[in-house]
Amino acid sequence: MNASKFLVIAAVVSMPAATFAAGADGHGHGMASGEPGKASQASRTINVEMYDNYYEPEMIDVEPGETVRFVVENKGNLVHEFNIGTPGMHDAHQKEMKMMVEHGVIQGGQIHHDMMNMDMGNGHSMKHDDPNSVLLEPGESQEVVWTFSDKGNVEFACNVPGHYQAGMYGEINLK
Amino acid sequence: MKVRLLTGLLSLLMPALVLAGEYNLTVDRVEIDTGDFVKEGIGYNGKSPGPVLRFKEGEDVRINVTNNLDEATSIHWHGLILPFEQDGVPGISFPGIQPGETFTYEFPITQAGTYWFHSHSGFQEPDGAFGAIVIEPEGREPFRYDREYVIQLTDKHPHSGDRIMRNLKMMPDYYNRQQQTVGEFFSDASSNGLMDTIQDRMAWGDMRMMKADVEDVQGFTGMINGKGPAQNWTGLFEPGERVRLRFINSSAMTYFDVRIPGLDMTVVQADGNNIQPVNVDEFRIGVAETYDVIVHPKDERAHTIFAESMGRSGYARATLAPEEGMEAPVPPMRDPARLTMADMAGMPGMDHGDMDHSSMENMDDSNMQDMDHGSMDGMDHSKMGGDDGQPSDPFYAKGSGIMPVAANDGKFLSYADLKAQKPLYEEREPTREIELRLTGNMERYTWSINGVKYEDADPIRLQYGERVRFKFVNETMMTHPMHLHGMWSILDVGAGKWNPIKHTVSVQPGTTVYMETEVDAPGQWAFHCHLSYHAAAGMFRKVIVEGGPDSTQAKTDVAIEEGGDA
Repeated sequence: MNASKFLVIAAVVSMPAATFAAGADGHGHGMASGEPGKASQASRTINVEMYDNYYEPEMIDVEPGETVRFVVENKGNLVHEFNIGTPGMHDAHQKEMKMMVEHGVIQGGQIHHDMMNMDMGNGHSMKHDDPNSVLLEPGESQEVVWTFSDKGNVEFACNVPGHYQAGMYGEINLK
Repeated sequence: MKVRLLTGLLSLLMPALVLAGEYNLTVDRVEIDTGDFVKEGIGYNGKSPGPVLRFKEGEDVRINVTNNLDEATSIHWHGLILPFEQDGVPGISFPGIQPGETFTYEFPITQAGTYWFHSHSGFQEPDGAFGAIVIEPEGREPFRYDREYVIQLTDKHPHSGDRIMRNLKMMPDYYNRQQQTVGEFFSDASSNGLMDTIQDRMAWGDMRMMKADVEDVQGFTGMINGKGPAQNWTGLFEPGERVRLRFINSSAMTYFDVRIPGLDMTVVQADGNNIQPVNVDEFRIGVAETYDVIVHPKDERAHTIFAESMGRSGYARATLAPEEGMEAPVPPMRDPARLTMADMAGMPGMDHGDMDHSSMENMDDSNMQDMDHGSMDGMDHSKMGGDDGQPSDPFYAKGSGIMPVAANDGKFLSYADLKAQKPLYEEREPTREIELRLTGNMERYTWSINGVKYEDADPIRLQYGERVRFKFVNETMMTHPMHLHGMWSILDVGAGKWNPIKHTVSVQPGTTVYMETEVDAPGQWAFHCHLSYHAAAGMFRKVIVEGGPDSTQAKTDVAIEEGGDA
């Protein structure tokens, strides 16, 4: 990485107060969408496949308070995200993802991890490491274990620019 | 309009059977009412625009076209990949359809997306002979929406196409109403200095052009789905729904800048092919192009679909609303764009040889000033592309006066944003490059390729199986939407394997644009500027694909040449 590019990114990243992940609201204490769960508490495993640009399945029923282990696989040719949150959280996160694309961290089917992990000073980075989401290159697979809250308007979504708007989201139905 | 041979139920019961559909179109004299004027035109099934033809990928279609006119006609299926005899260009694909005759087109549908159809005979298309094609994919769409609308734009002119062409030939600026005025001369003189202004005007005069040549046929009423601005075509939605809008520009001559104030648009398809989604505030749609966008209106309120012509000489307007009769404000048109010297940069071939270099440099200066205060009135000058790192579009000449800027200073779609969602072809080195200079002489209203007009030109010969790189060099001051029939145009946006495939590629003044074509369709094809009067004036070529499967080659040899319409 050359120095001028580093400076541009550093300038951009010095603005947000948190790492580049699930949006500003709620780290740790009772998000509207739920909280990270332990795999040992999961009542079941749901496989989610990501394609260009949609999920299978697109609708998931969960019990209030249920802990679910999601096994997420990117079967497309582009980078995709699986992110559990409210529409407002997704909206906030999309602005961060847009920056990542504009600065070349995500390009088509590639994630440039070296750029994400770079220390930007003041503890900031472009890491994408919040427990409610995974960001995957084509062919990759990862898990998200999530304990849903009792209520709330919750979706899973891909916040790579344009993907959510084009329809890459799915409904979580709390029964 | 259409009769499905197999019902949905039957095709479910017998999945092994090929899906086949039969469709009937009549070509008729029709009345067209724009709200501003009523004129006689040509339409399909009694209307202009004609019906939306809905096909399914994998279907074999039979389309019976009955010519009720007293002149020959034809239908070209714009953007569809099909055998060349079905492509509908008189003199190249077939002899045309004579008065009273019914011609049956038969071809397989091998693609999905938004396309259109139009007459390829004389000026029937500007006179109203066009309709839309929507092809549902075999698998699922790679996006989600709750409802969809075709948004078919046109530039309806009170004069017939024949009359417009006669007038342009007689006086090329006949329809150019935005010529610079004496008043403008004095206002330029006061801000730029008298000598600079005189020099600027003289230089442009030497080039036999005017800065207002962005649109050479003005005086039209913009229409959407057959409705003028006052007639306000309206599409309904329930708040919270996602709506897919299939924009098709069926204009004879007019580029439109499209926005929907209050709604973000996500472009998901260009020229029928899925692209990686791009969020935009506004986009420019070239003549013959299509763009599919998804919008997500959340509130119980109406939104105006506003499409200003690139030269700001007219607009089309429609409405998205929760209820019939609701409407939103219609914004005023922005000030007209003016060409700058940057837009002329690629013009060595034009006959303005008596212009010397010192005056060129002077012009450059005065002209840049002119652009700032003239065409960009009231705008933040720093938004103009250029050296200052502000938005610029690599598909426009640097410092171009016609580079689009979003009305809300937001994101304006560029060709550079178009990336294939799922590349159709493997990336490989082209086998050779063919340079096509787009040329013309505005004073005589002649338009040509490499300085030679269609009737004097040899066909372009391609070999089946090769990959040709076309280099378009625009040496004119107008934008040309170049349309190759029968094979995809892989537009070089610098994205390598993600370069998008299109059927129509706009080449801006003073720019060079590259596209590549996998020569995979035997036969002979049309290749032309899709501005109706430019194509008719000679910016047109026949392409012959030599070789290929034996059976097709034999048919090419006996292809009927008759008519000569383009």
